[in-house]
Order: sequence, then C-alpha cells, then structure tokens
Amino acid sequence: MKIKLKLYGSSKMLSDKEILNIELPNNSNIESLRSTLRKIISEKHLKNSLENLPKTAAFFSDADEIVNDNYKLKNKELISMIPPIGGG
Amino acid sequence: MILHTAIVKAEEEKISLEKAKELILSQKNGAESIFVGRVRDENSGKKVIAVTYDIHEQAVIKSFQSICNDAKNKFDKSANIFLEHAKGYVPVGEISILIAVSSGHRDEAFKICRYILEEIKHKSPIWKKEHYTEGNEEWLPGHSLRPKEEIK
Repeated sequence: MKIKLKLYGSSKMLSDKEILNIELPNNSNIESLRSTLRKIISEKHLKNSLENLPKTAAFFSDADEIVNDNYKLKNKELISMIPPIGGG
Repeated sequence: MILHTAIVKAEEEKISLEKAKELILSQKNGAESIFVGRVRDENSGKKVIAVTYDIHEQAVIKSFQSICNDAKNKFDKSANIFLEHAKGYVPVGEISILIAVSSGHRDEAFKICRYILEEIKHKSPIWKKEHYTEGNEEWLPGHSLRPKEEIK
C-alpha cells in the first residue's frame, strides 16, 4: 500500500516536495509508519538532525485529528506529519 | 462579543496593531491587554536575521478558535479577542503574533492574553525555522503532540 505523508516543520528536510509518497506493507498502522520513517531518515543520512523525529512526531488524519499508533492506514490515505510544535 | 482569529501570509501582508486595537474596542470593556511577539535578532548566541513560520492552517485555525473560546468561558464571556499569527518568512523586528483582548476588568484582560499565548505554544501546530547571519538555518525544537503514554 501507499500513503501520502504531508510534511511540516523539520520533517520538510525529508523531501523537497510538500508530500512524501511512502510505500508500506498492507494493513500497516502508525507504528509501522514510524519504523519506515526511521529507515528513510537513516538512508537519507539525516540521523544527526532527525533521529528523534519518528519517536516525537504526532500524526494527523485527513480530519486534522491526532491518530494513535494503532490507527490502521488506508491505501492512498493522506496523513500529516506533526513534529514537536513551538509557535508564538 | 468579537472573536477574530487569522493566519497572515507574511510575504503579502503585515499584522496590524491598529487594526487589533480598533477591533477590540468596546464601551463595555474598560481594560485592554495587548501582547505583541516580534522576531528577535538573537537566539542561544546565534545572530538571527529572520524566522520562517510553517503552519498547519486548518488545525491552527481550529485550535485558535477553541483556545479563545476556552479563555472566554474561563475568564470573561464578554471579552473581545483579536488573534493573528504570521506564516512564512518574517524578518527581525516584525510581528509574528499579536493577541489583543478587551475585557471588563484588568485582571481578566491580562489572564486571557497570557492563557491564549501559553495554550498556542502547547496546542497549535506551528513551527519555526531560524535563519542566521552566517547563511545557515535551523528548525527549532518544540513540544511533542504525540500522546505521552505512547512515548517510550
């Protein structure tokens, strides 16, 4: 299955585009997405900057609600990656 | 009762203190409290020239409305509130956030202003990237929205 990951904040270092297409095994959940992100960060040699991101990021569904680690992802679903926030 | 919240694209428009003052003005409210956040020229010993604010727009507007309504319910239902936050590249000295509140009394006006600012820092999906004089840039650390029980 494939999902579309919309990037915000520091997660934008993962791609020049706003949306990163990610291939995942069927029936993946958010926890599997975190594991895949660890691999991507390692492959892109971004561990110095983003090592903690898969652990500290939250994820929003298309309804802009936080989804937990057991949330089952759907094929072609749009998910937002929410790194630790700090506005103001 | 007025509640105005907005995200302002920094490249197209500036956040206006005058507009905020005008909007919260009410003969019923004798106290006004205004917080202006500006980009400063230094952070942790590094010389800053600007900050880029990245924002999840739909979620931020929802959170702004919810935070302001909570503040009114908690402190003063008759308060008028103006809240704007910049999005995009904001040079040193320019306004990044403006919170203006008018209320019946000074204590409530101060409390609402402070409450909104602190809640935004912990609830609204906004990120800062600092740009330095040396030409480098850095995303700043922040507060994780991941449920605490999930972080091992």
